[in-house]
Amino acid sequence: MRGQYDVIVVGAGNGGLAAAAAAAKNGLKTLLIEKHNIPGGCATSFRRGRFEFETSLHELCDYGPANNPGPVRKLFTMLGVEVDWCVLPDTFRSIVIGPNGYDVAMPTGRKEFADKMEEYVPGSRQSIEQIYSYADDLERTCAYLEECKGKPDPMVMLSEHANFMRLVSSTVNEVLNMIGMPKKAQDIFNTYFCYLGADCDTLDFANYALMTVSYITRGAYIPKMRSHEISLALEKVVHEHGGDVWYNTEVTKILVKNGKAYGIAINDREIYCDHIICNVNPHIVYGKMMDKKEVPERAIKLANARKFSQSAYTVYIGLDKSPEELGIKDYTTFIYDTADTVTLDASSAVIDNQSLAVNCLNIAIPECSPPGTSMLFFTKLYSEDCWKDVKIEDYVKTKNRVAEHAIEHYEKYCGVKIRDSIEEISAATPFTFARYLGSPSGDIYGYKGSKWDGMFQRLAVQEEEHFTQGLRFCGASSAWMHGYSQAYISGGDAVMLTLRDIQAGY
Amino acid sequence: MPEKQDYLANVDPMSFMGLLSMRKEKIDAGETKPLPGTYTVNEKAKTLHPKEQYLIISKVTQHGSDAKSFELIPNTAEGTKGCAYFRAGQYISVLLDIDRAKVSRPYSIRSGQKDALNGKYILTIKGTENGYASKYILENWKAGMEVETSGPEGNFYYEPLRDAKHVVGIAGGSGITPFYSIACAIADGIEDCNLTLLYGSRTKDNILLKEEFDRLEANCSKIKVIHVLCDELDNECEIGFITAGLIKKYAPADDYSIFLCGPQAMYDFVDKEIETLGLPIRRIRHELFGEYKNPEKEADYPKDAVGKKYKLTVTVRGDKQAITCASSDTLLVAMERAGITAPSRCRSGECGYCHSRLVSGRVYIPKFVDGRRMADFKFGYVHPCCTFPLGDVEIDVPAK
Repeated sequence: MRGQYDVIVVGAGNGGLAAAAAAAKNGLKTLLIEKHNIPGGCATSFRRGRFEFETSLHELCDYGPANNPGPVRKLFTMLGVEVDWCVLPDTFRSIVIGPNGYDVAMPTGRKEFADKMEEYVPGSRQSIEQIYSYADDLERTCAYLEECKGKPDPMVMLSEHANFMRLVSSTVNEVLNMIGMPKKAQDIFNTYFCYLGADCDTLDFANYALMTVSYITRGAYIPKMRSHEISLALEKVVHEHGGDVWYNTEVTKILVKNGKAYGIAINDREIYCDHIICNVNPHIVYGKMMDKKEVPERAIKLANARKFSQSAYTVYIGLDKSPEELGIKDYTTFIYDTADTVTLDASSAVIDNQSLAVNCLNIAIPECSPPGTSMLFFTKLYSEDCWKDVKIEDYVKTKNRVAEHAIEHYEKYCGVKIRDSIEEISAATPFTFARYLGSPSGDIYGYKGSKWDGMFQRLAVQEEEHFTQGLRFCGASSAWMHGYSQAYISGGDAVMLTLRDIQAGY
Repeated sequence: MPEKQDYLANVDPMSFMGLLSMRKEKIDAGETKPLPGTYTVNEKAKTLHPKEQYLIISKVTQHGSDAKSFELIPNTAEGTKGCAYFRAGQYISVLLDIDRAKVSRPYSIRSGQKDALNGKYILTIKGTENGYASKYILENWKAGMEVETSGPEGNFYYEPLRDAKHVVGIAGGSGITPFYSIACAIADGIEDCNLTLLYGSRTKDNILLKEEFDRLEANCSKIKVIHVLCDELDNECEIGFITAGLIKKYAPADDYSIFLCGPQAMYDFVDKEIETLGLPIRRIRHELFGEYKNPEKEADYPKDAVGKKYKLTVTVRGDKQAITCASSDTLLVAMERAGITAPSRCRSGECGYCHSRLVSGRVYIPKFVDGRRMADFKFGYVHPCCTFPLGDVEIDVPAK
């Protein structure tokens, strides 16, 4: 049976948008269906008074300049995505409270980053340069993996990419110890761990170093008009290539017969297609969208063996003073109680934990809010179910308490007074993410990375774990793991694999 | 130059294979129990923000000659188990079927939050001149009828992290309803602030919810209501309009926030008065402006479009139809008249729920109600609830 569409993409999050754009661009008759009224999932914006807030993007590390493009720039260039970007001046400021604490601000650029690290931690330069060298090895392997379309020759991997093989099976902290990096430099280097949703005794070095060194080398990029600009730019590509996009439409069923997906159901009809790309967590797809007898047992076992990663809390604040008036100089500031990532990761199970990432969008995009104003957003991560016992009638008080603590904490450790300048304030909690993303418990990071369930492990067995013909996954819970960049890449990759399926006659 | 040290010499490149074997073992040992269909956090999110609520009118109370209160309770037969909790001051959008037109209207929840926890909302609706929907509701809504509404929406509520501890409320006509809910929140100890309410009515007989407010005021020292009449002299009331002088007379000497809710004419007058008080923007909050009408009165409106009728082509989930849209009607109103159930909530250009793609055609959007995001301008998206055609127009609209 030929479907009405070659491909139906379920969910217009970052992965789904990239998948739909890539599918349409490749000449496939494409339908993108989204439950919400606008695209993006996490990648959107909202307005309050004079402000348009960025919902979730901190910065994109995998875009890069034209002369050293990252995978996202390559994908967007191929698709013809029109976004105006701003380049961030620095990587991060990291404040660790306590006796062995520090307050450091790190620039972008390999030399600049190494110089600064040497200034803060004399004797650290050689280890930083060693990390750069490993990152280059890793990028070289990634290029090879891309070239061979994910089907590497094991002998070539062992002979020419042995360092990749070693770094992918070692944790961040193992490698940093092996190269003799001074402890304080390790702590500073590990600041970004929270972007990957696991601690540095668990995360593999390859994944973490690829991301962090990309920030340092390529710089970080942010769209001028908030994430909503990227989402609409991708949607435009779908339209330009004859694809359809339906909003406010919930896919209730993935239709599968004899192990082959053949369509979807929405409230009033079924729509048939040859291939489905789901930007939906597999727990949801296998748990409630598929006929029970068609759910592969191994998919259930895999899902049950995994843990969800984290949801988030973000409070968005519009201030009626400029960053200069307030004394804000940094785009990203992390404030941690300790530099120990295992302790920090575990603390995400407690609502009143103290960890905080603070962003001031005006440092990256000065004109993002009217003259004489500024926008801040404070982000905290929460492990699954941390908020589940909050009573409905206590909900506002709880989110305000967290906001109040975050503001106090920021004022205390950054010496910036914002309390009396708040013109707009709004908080998103795990409930908010659950509402807009539909992911289990409002999870934003998909499945938690672990030694056996890291990105490269997932990618290596992607075909082996392709359980249902005609059904592929993209987005945060896919093999590529989470974050904007990874989600976009996962969408492009899902289409590449689908094209391969089509070529093979499926 | 020293030879580059190989720190990784002791790591076996084959250990990655060990991790893949570990993965197989983990999956082999994985449980076969069915995956959960849902999660507590997701269910609570739905309770807080239902996409729709099916309610039943349980009681109707008449207020004077032109207003009624409607008590709404969950329609359990349709799957609504409770009234979603809200922040005092928020509204629900009510769906109406008037002569085959599918119309929505936002109404502030007048009752307190405690009532919602007990499964009850109250809407108090006042008839207005040319009030197409309010007229329909007052004439047709009876006890026992079923009503479909949205979840609670809107940003007109007291926010302790932002607002002063003392709120000066300025209400006109039916704009009193969100303040009654806010007053309940204060009386019930849910919000901790003072409320001084300047409430403008034409005559004493026109004051809505007077007895209800008198009771709240008598029981809670944080609430004070001053009635301001423009068409009647009365010893207990102020006379005239709500001026800067009147605000100063009743506002505290130190910090306060002003909350306004009323008809456009009230905003036009009071906003100018408030300007003279020199308050920062963060101390002034408006409820939705309501449906924008008569674009031709704006200076930047193209005069050649006055009194025209245009073709509006609407696509919903791939189904295309052509309807007519007068230049004085919003794209949303034209769709509703044609029986198309387009999404809408605030009807004031603000909430963005009607966000639609402008495929082709020229449109007029009054600047001060244009609540679009920046990228919407770049990529050609509009909010049909405040968009007027300046020629034939084609739009792609989400399903309801």
